[in-house]
Amino acid sequence: MAAVRTPGQRALSRVAVVAVVVATVIFLSPIYWIASTAFKPRALATSVPPTIVFTPEVTSFVKLFTRRVQLRKLPPKEKYNAAPWWEKAIYDGGERVLRVRGSVLLSAYPDRFVNSLIIGIVSTILAVGMGTLTAYGFSRFKVAGKDDWLFFILSTRMLPPVVVAIPMFLMYRAVGMTDTHVGLIILYTAFNLSFSVWLMKGFMDEIPREYEEAALIDGYSRMRAFFKIVLPEAVTGIAATAVFCFIIAWNEYAFALIMTNRRAQTAPPFIPAQVGSGLTDWTTIAAGAVLFLIPVAIFTFLLRNHLLRGVTFGAIRK
Amino acid sequence: MAVFAQLDAKSAAARRGWSDLSIRNLFIIPTIVFLIVFNIFPLIYSLGYSFTDFRASVSEPAKWVGLQNYRELLNDPNIWRNFWVTAHYVIVSVGGQVIVGFGLALLLNRSFPMKGLVTTLLLLPMMMSMAVVGLFWKLLYDPSWGPVNHALGLGNFEWLSNPDMALYAIAITDIWMWAPFVMLLSLAGLSAVPKHLYEAAEIDRAGSFYTFTRITMPLVTPILLIAIIFRTMEAFKTFDLAFIMSGQPSTEMISIRLYKMAFQEWQTGRSSALAYLVLIVVVAITNIYVKYLNKVKER
Amino acid sequence: MLRKYLAKGVLAAAGLSLSLGLSASISAKAQELTIFWAEWDPANYLQELVNEYTEKTGVVVTVETTPWPDFQTKAFQEFNAKGDSYDMVVGDSQWLGAGSTGGHYVDLTDFFKKHKVADIMAPATVKAYAEYDGKYWAIPVEGDATGWAYRKDWFEDPKEMAAFKAKYGYDLAVPKTWAQMRDIAEFFHRPDEKRYGIAIYTDNSYDALVMGYENALFSYGGDLGDYKTYKVDGIVNSDKAVKALEMYRDLYKFTPPNWSKVFFQENNQAITEGLVAMSMNYFAFFPALNNPKVNPHSKVTGYFANPAGPGGAQHAALGGQGVSIVSYSKNKEEAFKFLEWFIQEDVQKRWAALGGYTCHAKVLESKEFRNATPYNEAFYQSMFMVKDFWAVPEYAELLTAINNRIYPFVTGDKGTAKEALDALAGDWNGIFKKYGRK
Repeated sequence: MAAVRTPGQRALSRVAVVAVVVATVIFLSPIYWIASTAFKPRALATSVPPTIVFTPEVTSFVKLFTRRVQLRKLPPKEKYNAAPWWEKAIYDGGERVLRVRGSVLLSAYPDRFVNSLIIGIVSTILAVGMGTLTAYGFSRFKVAGKDDWLFFILSTRMLPPVVVAIPMFLMYRAVGMTDTHVGLIILYTAFNLSFSVWLMKGFMDEIPREYEEAALIDGYSRMRAFFKIVLPEAVTGIAATAVFCFIIAWNEYAFALIMTNRRAQTAPPFIPAQVGSGLTDWTTIAAGAVLFLIPVAIFTFLLRNHLLRGVTFGAIRK
Repeated sequence: MAVFAQLDAKSAAARRGWSDLSIRNLFIIPTIVFLIVFNIFPLIYSLGYSFTDFRASVSEPAKWVGLQNYRELLNDPNIWRNFWVTAHYVIVSVGGQVIVGFGLALLLNRSFPMKGLVTTLLLLPMMMSMAVVGLFWKLLYDPSWGPVNHALGLGNFEWLSNPDMALYAIAITDIWMWAPFVMLLSLAGLSAVPKHLYEAAEIDRAGSFYTFTRITMPLVTPILLIAIIFRTMEAFKTFDLAFIMSGQPSTEMISIRLYKMAFQEWQTGRSSALAYLVLIVVVAITNIYVKYLNKVKER
Repeated sequence: MLRKYLAKGVLAAAGLSLSLGLSASISAKAQELTIFWAEWDPANYLQELVNEYTEKTGVVVTVETTPWPDFQTKAFQEFNAKGDSYDMVVGDSQWLGAGSTGGHYVDLTDFFKKHKVADIMAPATVKAYAEYDGKYWAIPVEGDATGWAYRKDWFEDPKEMAAFKAKYGYDLAVPKTWAQMRDIAEFFHRPDEKRYGIAIYTDNSYDALVMGYENALFSYGGDLGDYKTYKVDGIVNSDKAVKALEMYRDLYKFTPPNWSKVFFQENNQAITEGLVAMSMNYFAFFPALNNPKVNPHSKVTGYFANPAGPGGAQHAALGGQGVSIVSYSKNKEEAFKFLEWFIQEDVQKRWAALGGYTCHAKVLESKEFRNATPYNEAFYQSMFMVKDFWAVPEYAELLTAINNRIYPFVTGDKGTAKEALDALAGDWNGIFKKYGRK
């Protein structure tokens, strides 16, 4: 049936579109500010009054990846001229790149970024996978004390990390899991399970049982019905859950700081700590934040159609 | 006849593959066991500490003090102030997130060009680490070098140094960051409303208000409530934003007090007791939400 | 057949891994040292310095860092777990109490006696960074105190000088007393021009605000209490303390807007962005102001030591850290050898040249050091008049209490200074009673 829209509905549509545009602009302007800060020369990041127009540069990204110290005195002309463009940019900013036996000392950022990727991806897969299965179990089957079990699962998210940190740290230490990727992966999975179970159960409950019943009558086993019928219907929920679980694991700060050190620490404790020479290094923080935003943004963008997919209803009517 | 057919089909299915019982166990038990292992130990440990005067920074063993920690905390007016500030914050922040988030979802719940891109863009605030968000919003709010006052022409208006304004300033940042979360969940819920219900309503010449309250809301409410439950729990734990952005007593959340007690003063026993008090409060509030959620589902 | 080969293979693999593991553990041990510090330039300078030790002895020394806000947390967490991740720690002076009584630091008293460290290092630094309860627990590494940066060009502008003389009756110059500093701050406070009088510490999340207040308190002749008897009544809330607190509150009125949660970063930004006439900061952060690429006003930025109070007393709040050996380290022998190398005069000279703030008395007094930078002279003066906060294990609880009491007064003008300090005395008495000190 073709939707015939009244003039009122059409006007409302147009207002809605304008509102969306306005909302998008308002929401994104702080992000624009952060992104533009990444490309500003250091001196302009906190200028009074704030700088809107400037010549962009990528010095902050160079700073993000290198270990530097403040210049005590300017380098000799030959040394300066012999340096590659990015090292010149660092000199211009009043610092020098640390070198050990000729090669540049990289900052911890690349390692931390890779750690974040590994830990984020694996823990999300685990949390969403286990969460979906468990949600289905609670949604479709009788479980003694179901509400209590669900509440228990919810309660695992209620304690502030600070409190759980010390016993958790001691526990990890006892089994040698501090500063390991596996340790954080397990922790984040446990962390996100509460959320993924509850969210997926919400979506599972929305999927009518008639579908599986029909499939069962048609000769499917329960397991096959789950994989072939229910899961495709739950794709919106799975996509949303995966996005959120990944974001939460990706940006987690407290446990990453406490449980890990050199080997397995992720990027979030590193990025805001860029203090260069007694001043907050805003441009480098912005550069770190911008780069760190990219994987999440890409992941969400790839899933966008699944996120917005409506649940379709076929032959079965309630 | 259909009933018999169903019974038959089910037993046939059972013979064909995993039984319902074993599927149920396979799907549920690993998660439960996993969560118990990971949460019971720290919970019991902390509970134990809360009855002692243990301080993690010295090597003296913990001494049992019974309910002394709890008594002292409940008698401390500063702690009550922290709870009050946190409650105030939770209401303002979560309320704002729901209004803005749900509002945005309603706006987006139609087809328009580049809907996927716009949705992803609107999710960007949520994708950043809270520490970075807190740092940059502190910069944004600054009257001297921040663009907010500059763009709105507010001169030297103080956002974060003003004891009355500070909490709302932080809440605005929080709303900015998490309204997209509510938006996405609401959108998912809204798009799950069966189209045929809307079509039936149109045939019956139902007005948009009726459609909204009788069809849309009841079906979206469960997901929306889940979003509210989780945002409320997180709001109670708010630490990063408030810690980075403001030092005012009017913005000292309970989790900041907890952090200082646990990691600056190293009063491990006392902070564990405080954490349990917070837990009790959050459990009580969440309980109310969950009961409401179950009621809505049954309607 | 297969099983026989399999068994042999397994045995061989086991043997190989065992021997590899053994040799790895034998060879990897005692050739590495890890020093834990906060992430800032001095840690980078230290890494450069210790690379020379590595070249000399082959022992690889790594300076591992973590951002300042997390430094205390991570260090004590490792201590509490009795971990050996760090062999040495460059800890804050306030940690001495917790570090020593908690059994986390190795007693260095014999080392001090043997190498006469107490004579080598400036006496104030030994007292502040090394001593607790009559014993020595750390070697002073990075001396620090609070000082002031100021805009010479504003001070030396003839028009300003004339206007100032007309208004206040004396010449505009580097303030010698806090009262003068207040006048100057008031004079330069011009919000319409986006120029303000002064920048002071106000962050109450840890010790910034208290360090700022200490600068006033100590110069007013006041004290936080008797560090030996734990008496606070009549001391922490003495008339001198009340006056000092009121002065600090007065100065807050001349700070830029939204200045209620600031520490060293913002106070430096106040100078680089040309916002204020005078700014309080630790000397450790002044190199940035002296760097023309970081501070556009570096050529016209001057420095002065903390002014005196009305009674003529002059002190500065202590910062700085000393290096201690962690008692759970597996490389204590090696660490001692390292410290022997570190305290030598030429190494300390090198440390100062690289940018570290040495505490070596001879190096500090040398003309070379005092003239090396515009702020070294003020630093040298300050290091002989530093005073510190409590160093007892419960110092953080004392910090929380004083933050709670004075923050609303300084930034919000709530209550009176006397009320705040009287209440504080009560708080501190309670805390000391709890720990059996009274």
